[in-house]
Amino acid sequence: MSHTVLVCDDAIFMRTMIGDILSQAGYEIVGEAETGVQAVEKFKQLSPDLVTMDIVMPDMGGIDAVREIIKHDPGARILMCSAMGQQALVVEAIQAGAKDFVVKPFQPSRVLEAVQRVLG
Amino acid sequence: MDLSQYAELFLVESREHLSSINQQLLEWERSPQATEPVAGIFRAVHTIKGMAAAMSYSVTSDLAHRMESLLDILRTGDGEVTQDHFELLFRATDTLEQAVAASVSGREGQLDVAEVLAALDAATRDLGAAARRPSRSSMPLVAVSEGPGIWIRVQIEPNSTLVGARAAVVIGRMEAIGAVREVRPPPSAFESDEFDGQFDFQLETELDPEAIEREIRAAGDIKQVLVGAERSRTDVKQTASGRSRHVRVDLQRVDSMMDLIGELVTARDQLTQVSAARTAGDLDDLTLKISRLTSDLQAEIIQVRMTPVWQVFDRFPRLVRDLARQLDKQVEFRVEGKEIELDRAILDEIGDPLVHLLRNAIDHGIEPPAEREALGKPPTGRVVLSALREKAKVAIKVSDDGRGIEREKILDRARRDGMVGDEVETLSDELLLRVLARSGFSTAAEVSDVSGRGVGIDIVATRLRALGGGLEVSSEIGVGTTFTLQLPITLAIVRALTVEVGDERYVLPITHVTETLDLDSSAVTELDGRAGLMYRGTVIPLVDLRELVNVSGIVPDRRPVVVVQIGGRRSGVVVDTLTGQQEIVVKSFDPPSGTLPIFSGATILGDGMPVLVLDAGGLV
Repeated sequence: MSHTVLVCDDAIFMRTMIGDILSQAGYEIVGEAETGVQAVEKFKQLSPDLVTMDIVMPDMGGIDAVREIIKHDPGARILMCSAMGQQALVVEAIQAGAKDFVVKPFQPSRVLEAVQRVLG
Repeated sequence: MDLSQYAELFLVESREHLSSINQQLLEWERSPQATEPVAGIFRAVHTIKGMAAAMSYSVTSDLAHRMESLLDILRTGDGEVTQDHFELLFRATDTLEQAVAASVSGREGQLDVAEVLAALDAATRDLGAAARRPSRSSMPLVAVSEGPGIWIRVQIEPNSTLVGARAAVVIGRMEAIGAVREVRPPPSAFESDEFDGQFDFQLETELDPEAIEREIRAAGDIKQVLVGAERSRTDVKQTASGRSRHVRVDLQRVDSMMDLIGELVTARDQLTQVSAARTAGDLDDLTLKISRLTSDLQAEIIQVRMTPVWQVFDRFPRLVRDLARQLDKQVEFRVEGKEIELDRAILDEIGDPLVHLLRNAIDHGIEPPAEREALGKPPTGRVVLSALREKAKVAIKVSDDGRGIEREKILDRARRDGMVGDEVETLSDELLLRVLARSGFSTAAEVSDVSGRGVGIDIVATRLRALGGGLEVSSEIGVGTTFTLQLPITLAIVRALTVEVGDERYVLPITHVTETLDLDSSAVTELDGRAGLMYRGTVIPLVDLRELVNVSGIVPDRRPVVVVQIGGRRSGVVVDTLTGQQEIVVKSFDPPSGTLPIFSGATILGDGMPVLVLDAGGLV
């Protein structure tokens, strides 16, 4: 059975791109979220195997969403998606419980490596 | 192996660690519960110990070792840190500093460190007994590993993105397989882009070393894992290639580069003159090209010499603390603008003046706590040292919120000394500074006892003027005093006016020249019994350079006057001829005794002629 993924990003472009990379590699995209609040709600509803999380999102940022999700499920596997120059935020997200990160612009191979590390 | 070639590096690096030890001791003293400062101090002392041992400086490494033993107990929380410990650690740090310097100059044997060693051992013993732990004086030199768990060093692939975040991923993974006891540098350092990807941590886990390493490598982008290996960070730093993009250069090299570029600038000016005298298109083009390259090179080298002010400022928190304690004052010290850069040569010169001003601020400015409270002020006084870049200058301010300068008392004294006339009713800031800066005035006991200010202000003012800078003061009774040092950002190359009297040539830096005009005999008058010049509606002192430097011979009919100005003071300097302007490299100059106090240095002109540089401050 393929792993299920929840993709959280406020940009449709990024969601589409991440979705394509992952579904072509055989993962099943079970949901998308545009805001941190939505990400937490959809996580509770879908219990995906993996969450990809943008750091900067409207209403609740990615880091707070990580905290909420980990509170709900300490075993949640979250992969942060960040831009260059957000080191401090990524470190904070990882300390909050995210398992790994990828840096934009995304290279499919790097994204898949990171996903495998997190799921492995 | 010949170790002497490493001595300089040992000294430089040890000093950096000593400065960091002082900083962190202050921080720790402020918040004794904080764990980061003591961990940092421990690391720095440990590094010095390792380096000293490698250099066979046994006194230094032994002292560092005993400090480390005390710090270790305090660090692991087995002993409560007290004020006595802080005093002892400050004292030991001072001794360590002396030991480092003595080692390098081969005088290690002359040091007497027995008392400090005994105090350190006693403190360690007391704490050790309290904590029921064995004394660790037999601890081997390099190992720091203790307690449960294994030390692990990880190097993240330096070329990967976000090495700090990757390090955080590693720690996150380690927390899943065991307990992470300590991380060096602390995880907060991961957030910085300066983090180089190397970190150590102590892990308590059931897994064997191979399994740990597998788990670490699974985090991705791992270059190296050393399980159970503890080496000092600096060892690795020096051997790992390509990590740092900095090189250490002996300052003398940079100085000599600066001298060479100065001569190149001079040669360029000569070339420009030669080329202007001929009409050859290709020579003109080449001259232009060389001229541009020379300017670029000059700008680059000036940049190399730029040094952030913290290199001098960093020792002041400790100085302020010690002074405040000694004088029973409560002082909060703040430093602003630490990253502002100045030419190394200027920076080296301002340390002593700043010590002077800070000492004055604490000794005479800040009132004792009880007096402050009686005045409705907070008992803790405030001293601020700040650096601010203003165009081509840097302003460094020392301000306090103390009692301010009592102008009336200074004025009385200045009147009695005949420094100001009776017509002067109040001392403006500028006049106040002139009175204070008058050599000998301020050291008079009765003034410094009453007003407090002035000790050594003359020395500060002279230093700054020699650097092409200036000093300003503003002060309000009961509110505080601010001294401002105005400094040029770079020292070495200045534009100057070349002047002649008789057969002699001198140069005058253009910074202080307001204008030049023809001497009109009808404008010559008298000012306080000396020669004066009617200038823009006022009378300014008139100085004849011929008389100053004692040149005889025929005086030309028409002579120019150079008006120089420093702060609000002006004077006219009469010369025989003005011969032009050029860039000069001012070289410092040790005047033989008896030399007139009107020269600030020497230089070599475009035609190879050595000349003296006139000091505007000595002329106004």
